[in-house]
Amino acid sequence: MVKKAISVRGLTKRFGDLVAVDGISFDVENGEIFGFLGPNGAGKTTTINILVTIMKPTSGEAFVAGYNVLEDPVKVRERIGVVFQDNTVDRNLTGWENLYIHGLIYGLKGEELRRKIEESLEFAELTKFRDVPVKNYSGGMVRRLEIARALMHKPEVLFLDEPTIGLDPHTRARIWEYIRRLREEGGVTIFMTTHYMDEAEKLCDRVAIIDHGKIVAIGSPDELKSNLGGDILYVKVSDRTISLKEFAEEILEEGTALSYKLLGDTLAFKVRSASKAIPLVFRVADSMNVTIEEIKYAQPSLGDVFLHYTGRELRDEEGDWKEMARMRIAVRRRR
Amino acid sequence: MNEARILYAMAYRQLKRYFRAKSRLLGTLINPLVFFLFFGMGWSATLRGSMARQLFGGIDYLSFLAPGIVMMAIFTASLVGGISVIWDREFGFLKEVLVAPASRAYAILGRALGDSLTSVLQGLIILIPLYFVAPALKLEGLVPTLVVGFVTALTFNSLGIAIASKMRSPEGFQLIMSLVTLPLIFLSGAFYPIDNLPQYAKVIFYINPLTFAVDSSRYLLTGKSSLNLILDLIVLLSLSLIFLIISIRIFKESTID
Repeated sequence: MVKKAISVRGLTKRFGDLVAVDGISFDVENGEIFGFLGPNGAGKTTTINILVTIMKPTSGEAFVAGYNVLEDPVKVRERIGVVFQDNTVDRNLTGWENLYIHGLIYGLKGEELRRKIEESLEFAELTKFRDVPVKNYSGGMVRRLEIARALMHKPEVLFLDEPTIGLDPHTRARIWEYIRRLREEGGVTIFMTTHYMDEAEKLCDRVAIIDHGKIVAIGSPDELKSNLGGDILYVKVSDRTISLKEFAEEILEEGTALSYKLLGDTLAFKVRSASKAIPLVFRVADSMNVTIEEIKYAQPSLGDVFLHYTGRELRDEEGDWKEMARMRIAVRRRR
Repeated sequence: MNEARILYAMAYRQLKRYFRAKSRLLGTLINPLVFFLFFGMGWSATLRGSMARQLFGGIDYLSFLAPGIVMMAIFTASLVGGISVIWDREFGFLKEVLVAPASRAYAILGRALGDSLTSVLQGLIILIPLYFVAPALKLEGLVPTLVVGFVTALTFNSLGIAIASKMRSPEGFQLIMSLVTLPLIFLSGAFYPIDNLPQYAKVIFYINPLTFAVDSSRYLLTGKSSLNLILDLIVLLSLSLIFLIISIRIFKESTID
C-alpha cells in the first residue's frame, strides 16, 4: 500500500468541556494541495497543531508522511515544514540569520547550508534584504521568508496555517503565486487552512469544510459546488402579508426549487436552473400578494457550499474583525 | 552531532540578539552602576580609616563592593535572559523550536549557554572600569571571577527559564523581576559583610544562591571572604546543575496546550 501524505482517523481534541476537534477522519494524497476551510474557532489550527506534533489529541490517530504523530513525533518533524498562523521568526535577527539557525536545527551544514540559505532567500525574493532585521520587514516579506524557511529542509508535507491572514490583497495574490509555484515544481504535499473562500477555491485540489470541529463536506471545489446542483436564487421581499416561510414553502411545493434557506429578509433557493425558476417565482409571488424587491442568482461558490452544509454564512468580515482585534493586541504587546 | 548543531544554533541566536539589542545591554548595566556610584560614593566617604577597613576585612569599601556589583550585573542579565523565554512563546519563535526534529534538551541548554556567555560579558564590562577606582582588586582574580560568573549565570538563567515556563502570560514579567531580583541582591552580602549578622539572619543569606557567588568572587578578586571558597563553588555548581536539569525537564514537556 502506498502511504498517504496525511491520514487521520477519528481525531478528537477536547479542552475541558469544549470539543475543538470532533472525531474527524480524512486522507491527503501525495502531491496535492489540501485545504481546511472553515470559520475561526472551527478547529483548523487545533488540527494542524496535532498533525505537526506540538499538541496531543484526546483520542484518535493521525499519520503524517507515514508516521504516527504520537508514536514517532521526531520522524514526523523531520519530514514536515510548518508555517504557523502567527509569525515564528526571530524579529531581532536578519533574514539570513533566521534561515541559518533553521538550517542548523534541521541538520544542514557547511557549504550545503550556505547554498540552501541563498536559494531560500532567492525563492522568497529577499536576497536584497538578507541583512536587514526581520522587524523591519513587511507582513508579506515575513510570510515569504517563513514559507521559504519551511521548505529549506525539503519537507514531504508542508503545513500552512492561514497563510494570508492579515495581508493586503496584493500581497495575498503574491503568496498564492508562491504556493502555486510549489505545486508546479512538485514533490511537496501541502496542507493548508483558511477561512477565505476564494483562497480555498483558487489554490486547493481538494477542500474539507470544517465547522464546530466536524468535517461537513469534503471534495474538490468543483465537486462540492456541483453537489449543490444548479444555481442559487436570492429573492429579497419588501412587502408581504404572509410569512417568508409560507412563501418559500409554496414555491417549494410548486416544484420550482429544491430547497431554501432564510437569510434575514432574503430567501436563498437552490434551483436546477435560475432562468427557468425566476418567472415561476414571480408568478407565485403575484398570486400570494408578495412584492419582490430584488432578485439575483449565482452559480454556487464555496461560500454557498458552506451555507448549505452548516446553515450559516462563512463571512470574511467576521474573521477580519477578530483578526484585527488579535493583531492589535499583538502590536500593543510588541511596543 | 546534530545535538552539537542545535546547541550552537541556539547559543548563536542569543549572542546575535545580545549584540543587536543595545537598549537591553544598557538597561542591565545601569542598575549595578547606579548602585556602585551611590552606595559606593556615600559609604566609602563615610567609612574611612583603619577602623572602618577592619569592618570589611581590611580593604576599602569600594573594593569590598566591587565584586558584589559584578555579580549583581551577571545575576540580573542571566535571570532576565532566562525569563525572556516567555517572549519566545509570545512571539512564536518557541514553536519553531518545538516543531523541529532536534533535541529540546540541547535547544534549551544552548540557549542557556549563550545567555550565560552574554551575562558574563556584561559582568566584564562592569568589572574593567572598577579596577581603576577600587584599589584592592587583584588582576589575577579576573578570569576565575568570570568562570564563577558563568556558573552563576547558568544557575539563574535556568531558574529564569523554569519560572517563565510556569508563567502563562508575560504580564507578570516586571512583577517577578522586582519581586525576585531586589531581595536577592540585598540579601546576598553584596553591600555589607554578613559575618556580624545574628544567626537567624544568616540563614536567610545562606539560602540565597547569590550569596555564594558574591562571596567567592570577593575572595577571588580581593582575597577576603566570609565563607569558604570551596564551599561556595560546590554550592554554585550543584545549584547550576539542579536548575539546569529542572529547566530542561520542564522545557522537554512543553507542548503549546
